[in-house]
Amino acid sequence: MAKNILVVDDSASLRQVVSIALKGGGYNVIEACDGVDGLAKLAAADKIHLIISDVNMPNMDGITFVKTLKQKPEYKFTPVIMLTTEAEEEKKREGQAAGAKAWVIKPFQPQQMLAAVSKLVLP
Amino acid sequence: MMDMDPQMAAALQTFFEESRDLLQDMESALLFMEEQGADLERINAVFRAAHTIKGSAGLFGLEEVVRFTHRLENLLDQIRSGTKTLSPGNITLLLSCGDHINDYLDRLVSATPLDQHFLSEDLRLLAALQSALGENSSATDPSLTEPSLTVYDDVESRTEFIHEVSSDAPVKSAANWHISLRFGQDTFRDGMDPLSFLRYLQQIGEITGLVTLTDALPALSMMDAETCYLGFEIAFRSVADKASILDVFDFVKDNSIIHVLPAHGQIAAYLKMIQQLPEGDQHLGEILVAVGSLTPEELQKALALQEGSDQTGQHLPLGEILVEQKMVQEPVVQGALEKQQQQRESKNAERQLLRVRAHDLDHLVDLVGELVIASAANRLFAGREDLESRLESSSQVARLVEEIRDGALRLRMIDVAELFQRFPRVVRDTARTLNKDIRLEISGEGTELDKSMAEKISDPLMHLVRNAMDHGIEPAEQRLAAGKPAQGSIILHARHDSGGIVIEVSDDGGGLNREKIRRKALEKGLISADQLLTDPEIYALIFAPGFSTADTISDISGRGVGMDVVRQNIESVRGRIDIDSTPGRGTTMRIHLPLTLSIIDGFLVRLAQDTYVIPAEAVEECLEYPQTVGSVGYMELRDQPLPLLDLSAVFKKAELSETRRNVVVVRHGMERIGVVVSGILGNQQTVIKPLGKLFERVPGVSAATILGNGDVAPILDIPTLIQRHYAISAKSALVH
Repeated sequence: MAKNILVVDDSASLRQVVSIALKGGGYNVIEACDGVDGLAKLAAADKIHLIISDVNMPNMDGITFVKTLKQKPEYKFTPVIMLTTEAEEEKKREGQAAGAKAWVIKPFQPQQMLAAVSKLVLP
Repeated sequence: MMDMDPQMAAALQTFFEESRDLLQDMESALLFMEEQGADLERINAVFRAAHTIKGSAGLFGLEEVVRFTHRLENLLDQIRSGTKTLSPGNITLLLSCGDHINDYLDRLVSATPLDQHFLSEDLRLLAALQSALGENSSATDPSLTEPSLTVYDDVESRTEFIHEVSSDAPVKSAANWHISLRFGQDTFRDGMDPLSFLRYLQQIGEITGLVTLTDALPALSMMDAETCYLGFEIAFRSVADKASILDVFDFVKDNSIIHVLPAHGQIAAYLKMIQQLPEGDQHLGEILVAVGSLTPEELQKALALQEGSDQTGQHLPLGEILVEQKMVQEPVVQGALEKQQQQRESKNAERQLLRVRAHDLDHLVDLVGELVIASAANRLFAGREDLESRLESSSQVARLVEEIRDGALRLRMIDVAELFQRFPRVVRDTARTLNKDIRLEISGEGTELDKSMAEKISDPLMHLVRNAMDHGIEPAEQRLAAGKPAQGSIILHARHDSGGIVIEVSDDGGGLNREKIRRKALEKGLISADQLLTDPEIYALIFAPGFSTADTISDISGRGVGMDVVRQNIESVRGRIDIDSTPGRGTTMRIHLPLTLSIIDGFLVRLAQDTYVIPAEAVEECLEYPQTVGSVGYMELRDQPLPLLDLSAVFKKAELSETRRNVVVVRHGMERIGVVVSGILGNQQTVIKPLGKLFERVPGVSAATILGNGDVAPILDIPTLIQRHYAISAKSALVH
């Protein structure tokens, strides 16, 4: 069974490219367009093995999203990769405090994302 | 782009669409703030747009977009943090930057090479961004001597990286390394799995020896299942350099102890490492030998060195006491969060949209059209068989088909707001060019219209708006003299109206000049001097080909070729336009459009053996053909003369022989006419099929449809029929 990765980002093209790269690496990808959608997708999915979330999103930003999901016992140990930019050092610290311990700096190449995910979860 | 991986090509397409949407959002937000003042929420939205474009562009290797948006983002970041203000100058700059990115994307899509104009704009904007950021523009920034954006012919070569094999350069020979790992206690709690890092390590090299350290494991009763006590000593063989190996453990480096040393390397380095690790020195040394990173001799040497350092008192104690730390949860105000979420859920519902290719949708609508025809045939045959159960089920199918048809057509509908969204910018820029102060008011959002119609109507609408700004709205002095506010206003309004849509462009300018139009039309030979014309008829003259009353030709509303093209465009989607104008008060251009382009309510009539379709919206009433009518071509309808049109004459058929004939009264604009037919067959949903090339130019027929029995029926073009009839009777009147 391929592992489920939830990709939360408001950019559809980013989700699409990340999804292509991760599926190429043998993962299963579920997409969500913001934090609220992300929580809905978490609730609907069987098991999510890893979560990739953008920081800057409408409706519910990535920090709030991670804080909320880390409150749930079933996601306490689920790894979270946060997407930040260099300009967002402060956000990165907030994200880490919220429970997102891994991060990838935007802009990144699809292959880099696959590498980051492979470090945390086996396909 | 042809050779690109189809999935990536699709993603790139998404990127283009998404970026255009984001740039549009950015523009709307900027224009709003220009009017209403800056607010943080909108500044954030603008920032997010630039940010998202930058992030996604990076994924496609569009480095130039990344660089350009990066500078844009810098300025936005400073505006967001309050270091810089959102001055009118900055708004204009940001708008131009948005246009520039849009231009770049357009060129990329159409593979249009960059011209000098584009490149100089690029340099200009970069310099402007730099000076807006308060940086010294004379500084030798390499990015300023070269345009940031370049278009390459081969997009595919830049998007192929997805298939690139990760860094194994075959020329480099593999080296032996020693990796010492002590995972932090919080590793599990952070969502990390030590094992997956080790597996990943195998992707960049070979683990030749590994010992798991369990020294830190407490007694079972003391053990906390959530705490990580693991350590590893690994002998590793790889072509990767030290930085790449360290990079594997990037995510855990903050809380873990990680050492990467060349195997059999400097003894001093090993010693230092041994000293820093919590396990017993001797024990650790044996492990290093066991995994093969050190030879026994090397170990001996290291331990000897350590004894020396012991005497200087630098030796770290063995087995550091591990303090168990309870992870403290971030206090989150749960109530506030839930409230926030509730507010946003409703917004979110609107965002659950699905992008569908227009082509697929067209295909679906086409199929539904066929289904409508097939269902009509089905009902027809069921009717012939006169089997009640069959009839019942076929009408049930027909009803469902109609519902599907409505549903499918709704899919093509877009909110008129989407059509209107480019206008704030157009009005703003045009007003500046004209040096007039003009305000745009938009209303009627929520009105829906067919997407392809919106596309066709967009340019004519733009022309009407510009025309109203240029010719409609008077200069400020003139307005003030007339007792009007100096600021002119343009109103764009949309609404549903009896099975169609009406879009109005109104201005509060001087109104159309009746006499001027009449004079001009006389000059151009469009009307004769003795012709008596009503106001709407005179106003309609401005849509005649080649008509222009502007005293001077301006850049804004073209060179007198516009208005007739506007009318043609509108009529090509079976719409019409009429004008209301009050001198001194303003003008309203009213565009009437059908709801959809592909299906109409048809009114079926019979002409000898053939069936014709009249669009039901044009039909006013049906009468019996009066016995008293002569050959004059007129009948009396409620004391008004009604011109009669004999279709058999139009289509050059044998004269109708039936004694009982019908007259269908149809209307277009203000004109009415009675169409003489052999019989009336009633209303039917009609799927519009374009005419073949051969019949494209048949006057009086706009399209065709296929009837339930398989026959083809022409759809009558009522506006043309009426116009032709009036033109012919006018000519014959002159002859008499």
